[in-house]
Amino acid sequence: MAAAMCVDDEAASAAAESAGVDKLDLGAAAGGKRSVYLMDCAPVWGCASTRGRSAEMEDACAAAPRFADVPVRLLASRRDLDGLGLDAGALRLPAHLFGVFDGHGGAEVANYCRERLQVLLRQELRLLGEDLGQISCDVDMKEHWDELFTGCFQRLDDEVSGQASRLVGAVQESRPVAAENVGSTAVVAVVCSSHVVVANCGDSRAVLCRGKEPVELSIDHKPDRKDERARIEALGGKVIQWNGYRVSGILAMSRSIGDRYLKPFVIPKPEVTVVPRAKDDDCLILASDGLWDVVSNEEACKAARRQIQLWHKNNGVTSSLCDEGDESNDPAAQAAADYLMRLALKKGTEDNITVIVVDLKPRKKAKSNS
Amino acid sequence: MVVEMDGGVGVAAAGGGGAQTPAPPPPRRWRLADERCDLRAMETDYVRRFHRHEPRDHQCSSAVAKHIKAPVHLVWSLVRRFDQPQLFKPFVSRCEMKGNIEIGSVREVNVKSGLPATRSTERLELLDDDERILSVRFVGGDHRLQNYSSILTVHPEVIDGRPGTLVIESFVVDVPDGNTKDETCYFVEALLKCNLRSLAEVSEGQVIMDQTEPLDR
Repeated sequence: MAAAMCVDDEAASAAAESAGVDKLDLGAAAGGKRSVYLMDCAPVWGCASTRGRSAEMEDACAAAPRFADVPVRLLASRRDLDGLGLDAGALRLPAHLFGVFDGHGGAEVANYCRERLQVLLRQELRLLGEDLGQISCDVDMKEHWDELFTGCFQRLDDEVSGQASRLVGAVQESRPVAAENVGSTAVVAVVCSSHVVVANCGDSRAVLCRGKEPVELSIDHKPDRKDERARIEALGGKVIQWNGYRVSGILAMSRSIGDRYLKPFVIPKPEVTVVPRAKDDDCLILASDGLWDVVSNEEACKAARRQIQLWHKNNGVTSSLCDEGDESNDPAAQAAADYLMRLALKKGTEDNITVIVVDLKPRKKAKSNS
Repeated sequence: MVVEMDGGVGVAAAGGGGAQTPAPPPPRRWRLADERCDLRAMETDYVRRFHRHEPRDHQCSSAVAKHIKAPVHLVWSLVRRFDQPQLFKPFVSRCEMKGNIEIGSVREVNVKSGLPATRSTERLELLDDDERILSVRFVGGDHRLQNYSSILTVHPEVIDGRPGTLVIESFVVDVPDGNTKDETCYFVEALLKCNLRSLAEVSEGQVIMDQTEPLDR
């Protein structure tokens, strides 16, 4: 593990910054800095969740540090990797998974997604890693991620509806997880040293704070989105305005896991975004619409960034990364998540609120005095 | 056979500039909850006898039906529980009704999340255990379904040589401002179809549990 750690040379870092380097160095530089593909990436996150003013709590969230290794071929082309002197076939990057699942009609589907999606994704990444070794030509990485997530979300939806069997204890179960009117959103992010990959189904949202500006990593699946409405109507469905635009006048989102009573109009297919990490990335925010209904992307980014900085200023950098910090909530990111949750409550949101904040800014480890 | 429950009135009203023409109403359309089943003369007869609604020009009306592989007494025992609609209605989270089930009883229903409503106040208009007729009127709530009135009837039939049940539910309701008759019917029908599928699932599930005798006896 120590050998894999990135050792930042202060002089080299300063030189890189003064040279106006915008992106993290993708190759092994003469200054001794390691390629971004060889850097370690500690999970630094906080999660806050509340029922809010609702009678029920139907949100769920997942944080799975180092849940799987991602084959590097999913992140860069063979040619680029060969150019860096990296073994495209064998190299895998540790990755973390974060997810927010906003249930409706009941909590069963959201809770099932929280547990099951990471298992399915881990399995698929392992299988894909074996397959990628055989692929000689370069297929677009985005297509791989699309296929990977689409397959996982479809499998998840099939298990929820009882169309695919699932293990309950040691028994194969083929009954539905919940009644046909229960469903959930799913917005998940896979974070590794080089990239952030987001898959979204429904109207929860992922926003990246980059250089103090929000970057949308997901687009809400609302029934009145032009392409979603067209897809639904092409299938013979209707989008009706009934306290907001709704599929059949009932459901306020056009994609979800579950909700089989609205098939085939409401589908579980995610939209995927793959974004390389950058030096000026501040943090990543995943949240349910209980937050986004009352807080804009800009406001959320500004608040999260400020709360993280404030925490570090008040607590000193030396205590920010203890040994335990690698695998549990980071207090600075937690402060940001708590703040956003309270902000949404203050602004009068009526829904459950779930917020995950992932700190993406590398912070120096404490120097030993000895 | 097509029976149009709302289109005719609308067309007549529009054509007559608001005045209702004396011509007989055109056939009315209603949609089956169970798409595999064909509309038969008996069902049309049930609709004529039990599901008479006379929608005004700002209202719409329609009906859905479902064939259930469970005996009629079992299905009726579920639907007549005016005090516990959550037994078979998946959209109900809580129901509160005081006193006994009788004509005039009022229940307060809380609706599960994900729907464009949170509550509904509903009055029992008719409960006929001999004819197996249930009629309910919405008297309050945030669902935008003003003057909603429904009739649900349960009829014995034979399915695959076993006792089964035909359930028919019809309704009449005001068309809300900003919506069309077609939209309003589509919305209500979607909810009713889901209710009837759930009723079928619960009833048929109970039949399976009640199967104490071997099938080949």
